[in-house]
Formats: sequence, structure tokens, C-alpha cells
Amino acid sequence: MTGLLTTSVGSFPKPEYLLRARTKASKGDLSGEGLRALEEKATAEWIHFQEEIGIDIPVDGEQYRGDMATYFAENIDGTEISGLVRSYGNRYYKKPIIVDELRRKGPISVDWFKFAQARTKRPVKGMITGPYTMMDWSFDEFYGSREEACLAFAKLLHQEALSLEAAGAKIVQVDEPALSTRFDELPLLVKAVGTVTKGLRAKTILHTCYGNYNEIFEFFNKLPVDQLDLEMSNSGLDLLDRFKREPLKKEIAFGVVDVHSHVIEPESLIRERIEKALTIFAPEKLYIDPDCGLKTRSVEEAQAKLRNMVAAARAVRDAHRLT
Amino acid sequence: MVRTTVVGNYPRIGDTFEEQSLRRAIARFDKGEMSAAELRDAEREVVKAVLREQNDGGIDVVTDGQISWYDSQSHIARRLASVEINGLARYFDTNTYYRQPVVHGAVAWKEPILVDQWKFAQANSKAAVKAVLTGPLTLASLALDKHYRKKKALALDLANALGEEVSALVRAGAVHIQIDEPILTRHPEDLPLAVEGLERIRARKGAAALTLFTYFGEVSKIFEELVETPADAIGLDLVQGAATWSAIAKHGSKKPLVLGLVDARNTKKEDPAEVAKKVLGLKDQINLKASFLSPSNGLEFLPRERAREKLRILSAAARMVGVAG
Repeated sequence: MTGLLTTSVGSFPKPEYLLRARTKASKGDLSGEGLRALEEKATAEWIHFQEEIGIDIPVDGEQYRGDMATYFAENIDGTEISGLVRSYGNRYYKKPIIVDELRRKGPISVDWFKFAQARTKRPVKGMITGPYTMMDWSFDEFYGSREEACLAFAKLLHQEALSLEAAGAKIVQVDEPALSTRFDELPLLVKAVGTVTKGLRAKTILHTCYGNYNEIFEFFNKLPVDQLDLEMSNSGLDLLDRFKREPLKKEIAFGVVDVHSHVIEPESLIRERIEKALTIFAPEKLYIDPDCGLKTRSVEEAQAKLRNMVAAARAVRDAHRLT
Repeated sequence: MVRTTVVGNYPRIGDTFEEQSLRRAIARFDKGEMSAAELRDAEREVVKAVLREQNDGGIDVVTDGQISWYDSQSHIARRLASVEINGLARYFDTNTYYRQPVVHGAVAWKEPILVDQWKFAQANSKAAVKAVLTGPLTLASLALDKHYRKKKALALDLANALGEEVSALVRAGAVHIQIDEPILTRHPEDLPLAVEGLERIRARKGAAALTLFTYFGEVSKIFEELVETPADAIGLDLVQGAATWSAIAKHGSKKPLVLGLVDARNTKKEDPAEVAKKVLGLKDQINLKASFLSPSNGLEFLPRERAREKLRILSAAARMVGVAG
């Protein structure tokens, strides 16, 4: 029996040379082509790293993105980018502003998917920032209704999903970190994500994090995707009992390393977490990944966490005679 | 005929190099390249600029913008006895995070929390500076309680501690005190506990005017009780909490209101004439002269230049109310 395939949520940290290049580019001291070349170099390096350590389902690492919502908005007509707003502490980001009807200019992330897929035989995930998160993280000066704005994003992101599929993506992931923001809007999220994934032949995944999962638990089986990707090591391990009582009818990608901590979880601890997950989920439906994107860690920390994760998954596979 | 005020926080950086001085200072402080005293000076320069922007914007009662606050919860809680500060948690339905206070023992006031900041701000403002405190019910609801195991006991000890702080602020000269209880928009059933906490704070406020503010949602179901609470004025978010509007129209209020009509969570610019028209629609229900017009919540969720724009919209709308009145 196969099982416990390893993957990643999406983002990886940018190497020092790319961070410096982005600063230079923002000041106008580096051309778009110059920056693109370094983004390609970093992407190729991350693909190589994932192959080397044996990750089954690689990601492109999002080396070309600043913020996940802003990157998509920059490639959608009807948006502008705001000035800086604070997230927490000394961290600031720019938000999309919807100023007109939303329309897809053309493929958003497809070129990067192709670039990454060309460098590996393993199936690379196509990555979409979800319609609910796009809406929740944008200022809206046009629609005046959260539902309308959300569904407008959903419509154009469906086009993006089709383009990814046409480009060869076997797996399409929709990222919805804002999922648990307003419980009363979960039906809207289900509708919007359903619009994005409608008619896709590719395997579909919904990723979320920072959740009060207990409150949204009953929605898990209603989400119109094949797989749920959840942060489990940081906040969810205690959810396992609930999954025992109320089985998930989908595949699960189970986050086993904390992306907000500098601590490199030892292989033995990750193995324990995977073993716990195996008491609830069938191995062929259980995927192993970090809690969330690793972009806030250093390159060294991210690589060490991934190495231990893959080694732990391999050890558990061997112990259970899985291939 | 209606005065203007703000709710609390204000963007601490903007998009120009000069406006990002505090971001650079904090980065240098984190690397050990700047002392705590130098960082405080950098914060104070921003406080002065924020006060200038509010004064220039024509705001009648201003705040220090909560420039030195890490967030609304930990800034107050970290100075109280038996509280430690933990990791990040999502702050209501915003895409921002607060460091969660963890309560390990009996909570008590130890030392002034906001007094020096308030004094500095008032010394640098033409307009009266309002002292804003996160309310005991909201603090108790968002903290991780490992000691009391009962929200009521924690909230009331917090209320006693905040009462001490209010007393210290009033002694320093503050005449406007605001207690923020946004949690009431999520848990209106907790209003009796908010009232009990407020009574303890009210006992320490002397002659200062005490405002109770709720935001991030509506309070229509508790509106009638809310205007009877022991505060001198009630602040309301009438954007995200637009549903409260009909309750005001229906029941009116003998108590002055702070009408949070300008959207502090969206960049879209309101037409001051439209805002003024809405305010005038309440002239028979409330005492407009004693009331205020404000943003719906703190302005920190907006880019700095839009926050400035919202201040201008507020005072323009208030002028129109005055002319029409």
C-alpha cells in the first residue's frame, strides 16, 4: 500500500541574494528582467532541493511573490495596490484595492507553474490565492458587498484554475488563510471555492491556517475540494479526537512542523505526530507537510525542517511497510 | 453642532521615507543598534506628527494614536501583576494579530500604564487628548486565563486595575476617558458583566467624561441597555455595525453618542454631505451638540494617507451638520 506522501504548503524563504535584488528593484536600481532571472534561479534551487530530499509533491516556492493576495491582485484588472498597513509588530504589507470590475488580464501563476514543472518529473502543485481571502484582504471601493466581490474573484480564479490544468497541473491548491475570519460567511466561502474548482479534473486542495478549527469543523466535509490541508502541529493536534468521532470524507494534508518557530523539530517528534495521525486517517489519504508556508523562516531553518519531515515520513512508511 | 473625535489607534508609518522612521527605529532596536530611550524618542516624534495631523484635520478630541502600543491587549495587560504575554492570535475579524496575555495569578495594577504617554501627547496637542483603555471584558475575553477559570472574576479584577489607571490619568489631568469593549459586538449577552466592570471604573473617574465604545459590529439587540450603562457617552461603529442605526432611530438616546459613521476599515472615501445627512437624520433622536462624529474604529487599518483623508471627511461632514443645524 502507498501512503504518507510528502509535500509543502506553498512558500519558501527567499535567499539573501533575492531579498537584496527585490530591494534594488523596488528602488529602480534593477530591471524587471534582472529580478526575474534571480527569481528563476531561486525557484530552480528550491525545486532541486525538494527533489534531493525526496519530497513527493513539490511546490514552486513562490519566490516571485511579495504578498499572496497582492501578487494576484497585481495581475487582475480593476485593482490598485494600497499604501502600507500594519499586520502586527513591525510588519507591514500592501493590500489590494478593488476600484473597478474585476477581470483576469491573463494567466497569473501559470508561467511559474510551467517553469517549476519543467524542472521535475514529480507533480508540482498549481497554487491559487482563494477568492474569499482575496476579498477579505482587499479594500473594496467598487462592489460594496463582500459577497459580490468574493464571487467576482471566484469567477476569474476559476479561469486561472482551468489554465493551470491546461498547462499540465495535476493538483490545484486553493489557499484560504482567511477562512475562519467570519464564521457566518462560511457558506459564502463554500460557494466561492466551489466556483473555482467546478469541473476541474485535477485533484483539488484547500489550505487554511490560524484557525479555530472547532468552530468550523462541521464545514470541513462541505468544502468542495478533494483534500484539506490543515495546520495541525501548532493548533490542531487536539482535534484528532474530533476527527475520530466525525470522520473526514476527504484526504488530509497534515501539518507536522510549526512554521512560526525557530525550533527545528527533531525527526522523532515528527514521527510521533505522524503516528498519531495514522491512528485516525488511512495512510493513502494522509499527506505530510508543514503547517503553512515556510517563508517567514530562514532558508537554513526551512530546509532543516523539511529534511526532518521527509526523514520522519520515510521512517514511519518503513515501519508500516508502506511504499 | 456636532464635534469630531477619533477612536484610538492611527497608522504609525506612511509611504514616504520620512514617515517610516519608526519602522526603521524598531528594526534597529531589535538588532541592538538603538537604545530603549532612543526608540522612545522615535515614537514620540511620530506621536507629535500624528497629533499634528489630527489637529490639522480639525478633530476636536484626539488621541496619541497608540503609537507605542504593540497591540490593544498586550500593551495594557503586560504592565499588570500576574500577566505574561504569549504568542500571536488573530484580532477579531481583522487580518491583524495581538500577543495574547496569559493570566497566571491575581491581576492587579502595579504602576501607571498610559499616564506618561497621555501627558506627552496633551503637551503636544492643541486639542484635548482622550485617554483610551481596552475594557476589562474585552481583555478578559481575549486573554488566556490560567488562574481564575471564570471570566467574571478575571474581568472584575481587571476592572479594579483599570480603575486605578483611570484614577492616575485623571490626576494627571485627563478629562476624556474611553473604555473600548469591542467584544460586546460578539457577545452581547456579556453586557451585564461589562456594566459591572464599568461601575468600578466610573467610581474612579472624578469629573472626567467616560465613553464606552463598541466596534467591529452591531449592538442593536442591546442598544437600549447600552445607553443606560454607567458611561457618560456611548461610542458606536455604524459601518460594520450599520444594523445599530435603526435601533438609534427607533429608541433615541438621552446620552450623547459617538457616531462611528466614517469607515475606518475601507479606503473608499465617503461624501461628507452624505455623512452629514445621516447625522442630521438623528437630530430629533439624540442631542447632536453633545455628541461626536468619528471613524467606525481605530484608523490603523488604513494606509496613512487614507487615514488623513478620513479625518478631513469627518471634519467636513461635521461642518456641514453645523451649517445645516
